[in-house]
Amino acid sequence: MKDKDTFTGCLSRRQLLEIDACTQCGECLKFCPVQEVTGNPLISPPEKIRLFREFIRATEGLGARLLGGREIDRKLLEDFSHAVFECTTCGACSRHCTVGISTQRLWPMLRKEMVRRGLGPLGPQAGMPGAIRETGNPYSKPSAERFAPWFPEGVVVSEKAEIAYYAGCTGAYEAQPMVRGDVSVLSAAGEPFTMLPPEEEVCCGFPLFITGQHDLLEDLTKRLVSAYQERGVKTLVCSCPCCVNIMSRDWPIFFGKDLPFRIRHITQYAAEALRSGRLRIAGELRERLIYHDPCYLSRGVGVIDEPREVLRAIPGAELIEFDRHGLASRCCGAGGAARKVFHDNAIATGRLAIDEAVAKSADRLILSCPACYAKVNEALQGHDKQVRITDIMELLAGLVERR
Amino acid sequence: MGVLLACAAYAVYAAFICRLFFHILLWVRASEQAFTRPAYAVRIRPNTVAVTALDLLFLRRLFSQNKLLWIGSWTFHLSFLLVFLGHMRYFLNPVPACITCLQPFGLVAGYLLPLSLILLLILRTSSGKNRYVSVYNYFLLGTALVISLSGLGLRVFIHPDLAEIKAYILALFTFRPEALPQSIVFVAHFSLVLFLLPFLPLHMVAAPLVTLDARRREDELRTVMHER
Ligand code: SF4
Ligand code: SF4
Repeated sequence: MKDKDTFTGCLSRRQLLEIDACTQCGECLKFCPVQEVTGNPLISPPEKIRLFREFIRATEGLGARLLGGREIDRKLLEDFSHAVFECTTCGACSRHCTVGISTQRLWPMLRKEMVRRGLGPLGPQAGMPGAIRETGNPYSKPSAERFAPWFPEGVVVSEKAEIAYYAGCTGAYEAQPMVRGDVSVLSAAGEPFTMLPPEEEVCCGFPLFITGQHDLLEDLTKRLVSAYQERGVKTLVCSCPCCVNIMSRDWPIFFGKDLPFRIRHITQYAAEALRSGRLRIAGELRERLIYHDPCYLSRGVGVIDEPREVLRAIPGAELIEFDRHGLASRCCGAGGAARKVFHDNAIATGRLAIDEAVAKSADRLILSCPACYAKVNEALQGHDKQVRITDIMELLAGLVERR
Repeated sequence: MGVLLACAAYAVYAAFICRLFFHILLWVRASEQAFTRPAYAVRIRPNTVAVTALDLLFLRRLFSQNKLLWIGSWTFHLSFLLVFLGHMRYFLNPVPACITCLQPFGLVAGYLLPLSLILLLILRTSSGKNRYVSVYNYFLLGTALVISLSGLGLRVFIHPDLAEIKAYILALFTFRPEALPQSIVFVAHFSLVLFLLPFLPLHMVAAPLVTLDARRREDELRTVMHER
């Protein structure tokens, strides 16, 4: 591919408008976690947008049409690509954009364009399609180890049921207390639920989507949707915000039509089960809990109230909030498939969350995302401030009445 | 000299129109990529339309982020609009009554325009850890400031022969370029406008559309995992 080929091939009309709509006001900068920990101006949303506009102008602007496109400096392109992949795609800039640009959807498409030009993905991200093809997950872990190490004894999984649980790769391999909590809560609610066998529960496609490597997405979606359809599933429950994001937003597109079931986050399921009395909390917890909203759960799919409803239902617990919470929450640093490539950024950002939780005298930092869980726990190691980190379902599972 | 400036004006206008045309072509031709479609069709509620109208009229998204910047930006946009409409009296003959009515407002806007630009420049240059600095922004604001100050100077201090200026502009727009008006400040003012035109930001067209879409997206966010 020539560096003067079109830059607009991966962008929709709306996204082209968004690129042009940025007023370069810089207001979003104050909320960018990567900017906060790196201070690198190239990562800032207006700078990425300005550069991309330059690329479009050089290749498809008036001058380019009259005199032929300009070759773009390779180093500039590489730096740009690096900046686009360093972003955690948390969408905080979108939330605070003075125009309303949907950056959480825009950055992945700029990444796709960079992949198309051979300038991405970065580091271990490049191995993900191969790993998923071979093992079904981006971590190259054997499917035999997907459920066995953490699946609680005594929990019954039905062959067919209207409710299905999808554990997800990150939960299953990197945040096992979380997925153990999920199935324990599902079991305590007493409704039969089904799961796919470990070799059939393949990646949801999100890591590929977010790194601009879209080739396998249709195949993965169709395999998963058909498998759940065969089991008579009406509601697919999952605890990973990234999974529920791609499932609810993009699976219908890759599947070609509306899904034959609805997607629910585990906190939605639990909140409803608590409301209806199917789940009952037996114990109490005299602690101050601070809840971190995962970016792809709050800004991604609007699940904000239900996790709080679950935590408020715990007798004795006091729920406190981060300064930035709900739709305005601050990324923990683990998102956008950047945590394995930009490890230091992720650790530094995770520590900002830990510091605030400690400053607010929280007894526990409650998370609700496997990537956050894995990385913030890592950030806790060797840090001078310490707080207990617990996944929301891990916490609830320890408090509910068992059936 | 008059013909020279007229030729420059024609070239700039032609380039501006072509640039806009090609850019709109880019928007029109862009594929409606599936990934950016809302997962489910969302009906635009009547109050979404009303709220979006308020967003656009009062730049409410900016207001919620930065009140000072909002004061500068909103005053700039409003005064620019009034000044622009006020300038229509040089392009139209006879001058419509509505344009004549706006003249007193246009005069006040003539003062507010440079003031708002100065405020915006101060806010941009005031160093903050998280302030975005772009040469293009300084260039736009700086040139607009010089244009607005020269315009104000013409109106308040220099008092050029307005009939002569109007005749020159009307001739220019009917492709019968005439000799330049006497006022050197007017020539500078007009030349700077021509100079700035090719650099005008496209957010003037794109931002309102994106702001409208942002409200629709917010409505959609409430439905994606709750109503389906
Ligand atoms: S998505 Fe998040 S990390 Fe990326 S530019 Fe926006 S605020 Fe920064
Ligand atoms: S807030 Fe929006 S318009 Fe302003 S610089 Fe950031 S992305 Fe651009």
